[in-house]
Amino acid sequence: MDPFAASLWLLRFLFLAALYLFLFAVVRVLVRDLRAAAREPGTEAGRLHVLASPGGEPPAGAVFVLDAVTSLGRDVNNTVVVEDPFASAEHAVLTFRGRAWYLEDRGSTNGTYVNASRIEGLAPIGFGDEIQIGQVRMRLERPRG
Amino acid sequence: MTAASGTSRGAELPSIFGGLRPHARWRELGFLAIVATALTIGSISLGATLRARDPERGAGIPEGAFAPYGATLLAIYLGALLVAHFVQVLAGRRSDQVLLPAVGLLGGISLLLMERLPQNLGGQFGGLAQTQLVWLLIAIAIVAVTAVAVRSDAWLRLYKYTWAAAGIALLLLTFVFGRDVGGARLTLDLGPLSGQPSELLKVILVVFLAGYLSENRALLVEQSTSIGPLRLPPLPYLAPMGAMWAIALGIVVVQRDLGAALLFFAVFLLLLYITTARASYVAIGVVVFLLGSALMYKLFAHVQQRVDIWLNPFADPSGSGYQVVQALYAFGRGGILGTGLGNGLPTVGGRLPIPEIHTDFPFAALGEELGLIGLLAILGVYLVVIVRGLRIAASAADDFRALLAAGLSLVVGVQAFIIAAGNLKLIPLTGITLPFISYGGSSLLANAVVIGLLLALSDRGVEPPPVPRRGRIARLLDRGAP
Repeated sequence: MDPFAASLWLLRFLFLAALYLFLFAVVRVLVRDLRAAAREPGTEAGRLHVLASPGGEPPAGAVFVLDAVTSLGRDVNNTVVVEDPFASAEHAVLTFRGRAWYLEDRGSTNGTYVNASRIEGLAPIGFGDEIQIGQVRMRLERPRG
Repeated sequence: MTAASGTSRGAELPSIFGGLRPHARWRELGFLAIVATALTIGSISLGATLRARDPERGAGIPEGAFAPYGATLLAIYLGALLVAHFVQVLAGRRSDQVLLPAVGLLGGISLLLMERLPQNLGGQFGGLAQTQLVWLLIAIAIVAVTAVAVRSDAWLRLYKYTWAAAGIALLLLTFVFGRDVGGARLTLDLGPLSGQPSELLKVILVVFLAGYLSENRALLVEQSTSIGPLRLPPLPYLAPMGAMWAIALGIVVVQRDLGAALLFFAVFLLLLYITTARASYVAIGVVVFLLGSALMYKLFAHVQQRVDIWLNPFADPSGSGYQVVQALYAFGRGGILGTGLGNGLPTVGGRLPIPEIHTDFPFAALGEELGLIGLLAILGVYLVVIVRGLRIAASAADDFRALLAAGLSLVVGVQAFIIAAGNLKLIPLTGITLPFISYGGSSLLANAVVIGLLLALSDRGVEPPPVPRRGRIARLLDRGAP
């Protein structure tokens, strides 16, 4: 075979091989990245980020990883204890029902607010929405990972 | 918590220029090195083949056989990619490190393809390849500037109805002042500039849908209406779905742009599914779309013609079916391994084998020269872009950003697969471009905005999302309630 034609062949396949080398390198990084994400406990359905809390309980800046049911209120038996003069003992409950988050006011005296409007009973809420109980402001955030 | 997207590995570099805090991006640099190697091998292969095919060549090896073809253009392009990399390093961005090299590879392949096609096909700035290079450089600049400059998404999030209005205005402008090219009214001339508004429109559409769906997500997930076995959300929230369907069909009727209509509706359904996780919505959407398409087929000759060509291009192989038939032959000549860069596309009687090959059929051209193996690699790169976008969406802080990231990456990916399927005669051919590979400014610039926004969204230092307002519809309902 003509050495020139042979080198043309070689170059063609080198180019295709280089394309696959790039893909291989990228996919390796993607897989490693996904594995790292999968190693984290994946049961988390959302997180609650405390934005402001004058009473110090929950501490401002704290992030709670949420399960399917999270109760909020002044009573110590709540999942998230809200120490605020305007909070009721059993104030509200956050639930994740398969596809979406819901916030339910449990007949509190001073009400539960979502994005600064008061909710009646059960209200659907989304990630990024701001929940306010008394002067405590919290934001529902997407699970990370 | 480990790094959300695992994108940042480099150590902090010392702060050199006052407030700048550079952050190394070794992964991106490594990928760019592979891209540069691949493209250099490609241009050497292209050069050697073209020189060997030169009719004046006698026996033996031609002069300078193994010099890269169009070395200056390639060097400028790779230099621009490196500059974009260093701009992000200097700005200290901890954003995604895969997207720029992936898109850079596609752009480089586009440059090789344009160098190889006849240079008189088009071009405002010299030949085809020079013009494409100018657009690629502008696109890289847009990617770098958007990735570094966009630090907040408020300007997208808060003005979604303004964006929607701008989009509709753009659509109407095209309808009134547009120019017909090849039976479709897609091109808008503004003085010396001309562009395809539908490319920009797809970005605006994603921004609007992300805003609308994230604001009303909670309500869309609720089910209060049932029709037989179907469980639907409250009826008023179905209105946007109807509007979207009407717009998609309107584009087909008015602009005769089947590709854009298909792309917009597909992205809408995908985002609706991501928002609500309900397959029933997608099923309804597909059924409604098929019904609409059947109606269009009955009513409009241009739709009928497209579908007939698709069903049987060999009915008129030298007339209306010419493009599609030639593309099929090109894939056939390419086979599994391809003919090699520069070795395909013999011009038949001074006539290009596939008309509009540089805009509508780059996939067929690449199929001939790189073969099935090369095409699979290129489709793989598009998949990487989609996967990366969905990953950015999964680790986004709130619904708007998640939907925006998912929508942006899907709009690029779905567009690539629609035109690839059109070239392969899997679906009727549509006139949309292959992102980052097709010749043309509008397509490159709009897709550059998409990649720039994705990079900006993936950065872990962006502003936290602002406090949401209640959905517009929900507020109206509040007002009506006792």
